[in-house]
Amino acid sequence: MPELDELESRLESLTAADFQRGLDVFRGKLKEAEASYLNSCVHCGLCASSCHYYRMDSILENIPAHKLELIASVFKRSFTTMGRLAPGLVGAKPLDKEMARAWVDSIFGRCSLCGRCSVNCTIGIALPRIFRAARAALGAMGLVPSDLQATVDNSLKFGNNMAMTRQDWVETVEWIEEELQMETGDPEAKLPLDKQGAKILFTVNPREPKFFPLSLQASAKVFWAAKEDWTMASDPGWDLTNYGLFNCNDEQAGCITSNLVEAMARLGCQTLVIGECGHGYGAARWEGPEWLQKSYPFEVKSILELMDEYVRDGRIKLDPSKNPVPVTLHDPCNLVRHGGICEAQRRVLRQATMTFTEMTPNREHNFCCGGGGGQLAMARYKNRRIQSGGMKAKQISDSGARIVVAPCHNCIDQLMELNKEYKLNVQIKTVAEMVAEALVPNT
Amino acid sequence: MRPLHLGVLLALAWAILAFAFLLLLAKAYGKRRMYSKAAGDPVQGARYAFTKGMAPWAKESVMMNLPSYGAGMVFHAGVFTAFGLLLMALLGLRLPSILLTAARLLTLAGGFGGFSLLLKRCLNTQLRGLSCPDDFISNVLSSAFTLLAFLCTFSPVASGIWMAEAILLLIYAPLGKIRHCLFFFTTRYHLGAFFGRRGTFPPGGSSHA
Repeated sequence: MPELDELESRLESLTAADFQRGLDVFRGKLKEAEASYLNSCVHCGLCASSCHYYRMDSILENIPAHKLELIASVFKRSFTTMGRLAPGLVGAKPLDKEMARAWVDSIFGRCSLCGRCSVNCTIGIALPRIFRAARAALGAMGLVPSDLQATVDNSLKFGNNMAMTRQDWVETVEWIEEELQMETGDPEAKLPLDKQGAKILFTVNPREPKFFPLSLQASAKVFWAAKEDWTMASDPGWDLTNYGLFNCNDEQAGCITSNLVEAMARLGCQTLVIGECGHGYGAARWEGPEWLQKSYPFEVKSILELMDEYVRDGRIKLDPSKNPVPVTLHDPCNLVRHGGICEAQRRVLRQATMTFTEMTPNREHNFCCGGGGGQLAMARYKNRRIQSGGMKAKQISDSGARIVVAPCHNCIDQLMELNKEYKLNVQIKTVAEMVAEALVPNT
Repeated sequence: MRPLHLGVLLALAWAILAFAFLLLLAKAYGKRRMYSKAAGDPVQGARYAFTKGMAPWAKESVMMNLPSYGAGMVFHAGVFTAFGLLLMALLGLRLPSILLTAARLLTLAGGFGGFSLLLKRCLNTQLRGLSCPDDFISNVLSSAFTLLAFLCTFSPVASGIWMAEAILLLIYAPLGKIRHCLFFFTTRYHLGAFFGRRGTFPPGGSSHA
């Protein structure tokens, strides 16, 4: 595997200046909260059972406290008096090649930044905040797995993470528009591009035009039924993804966020609506303003909130009998635990389906599907990703549902692989697809 | 004043100053200015983190490890009781018999709880892999302090050893992981505020909800 060799040779070539740069970046990411977290772990180990990696492969390396300790040991050695005076006593260790190798394996290869350990920690340590600082440090040392970095580079270069050309994107939208018009029988059903002054700028995951056009068509059908004033951008600003959330290079992440902010200004829209994507929502809604160091002059919403409003306000009517098959819901970590959107999708699904069953556990206690944290982009960890997804596969299987609704395209990719690997025999759909199916034609 | 009492007071002063210094060091990292619009209330989130969010049933990790959690709770109750007894001893006060009985029960159970966790740390390969010498020292100092407090409620003969042990514990506390007695509160506040702001804590508390 060339990726393995590349990362290993980079590790071997690290210099003292590289380590110092990594430490400087790491230190720069720490604030009062993180300093508190790094002083708090008591190594009780109770967090182990909260981690989907550990649940599926119960080894020391998969215990969240162990992953944290790798980083805390460097923090102690580099930034605390006791770590310098008595490193052996408090477990302080220097950032050297072996430690950097362990960091890469641990925080890129054994963590999806899902944060389930945070809510289960007896102390209350928000571990992903520390892991993000460590990923940033590894990035400063050139140790981000190249395929993850390539996804970020695509966004920086092409304005979308799949390097789609403007022509491909626009032609796909036009083709989906024709399909929508055929489906609705309404020649006025549109997927508007660059509509100046539209109320809503809708953004999508490039996987939709590339691989899942029916998903985009479903969202468009919902907007059509609600008579929404919406548009998408033809130039950068249509892609909601931001893998800067995962390589943790805030500068690059901020550049990608700027595409959305600039599109909002260019088109004069009021509300930025993020399509069904967990990390995209987290990046745009929560982290984007922090990366840019300024508040947005507009509102950010998930399409889930919007559909919830449509149902509540009677702008769309749903017939649950059109979705008679038992349905369960996957809670994407960045949308639910880290995003705070828990109930909107549930209210919508209860209206759109005959039998809606919760997975156990759910909401902020959900298990990550295994595809988060950039795992889907890092081929070298594929086996671990599929194995760690076993917890989600079990949840799905236990639910008895035949359709799994996942309001996140990254999760959908992972769930499709789990479906095959664990022989779940389920369909995987977005919330918009369920809603579009249940729409009652306007009278 | 007896020399050991003076020693305890000096060690206590050291611990308080050192903890204050540690807190200042952490605060020196600075607060993160937030630019995203809040969806919930950080204060409500922190309140939840310190109340319902700490309940055993709010944490799967606790429900799956109830014996360890129980031992930890009893251990902490015992340590705090032992400190209460230490304060009484320094002030030359005596507890009413019913409170004395409760204190004996708590310190005895706490001491055994602490040593049971130490035993678990020694025997469990993975827990041992997570540990550094500080983990063992901190446990031994705290557990011994708690058990000695129990013994001293019966016989003042052991009080000299107990006081000396208390001095060691107070001197060591800010240096190792016992500092979590301070950082537990700041950590839990930050966790609660983080999830509170995002509307995750308390469950159903989001403007998105």
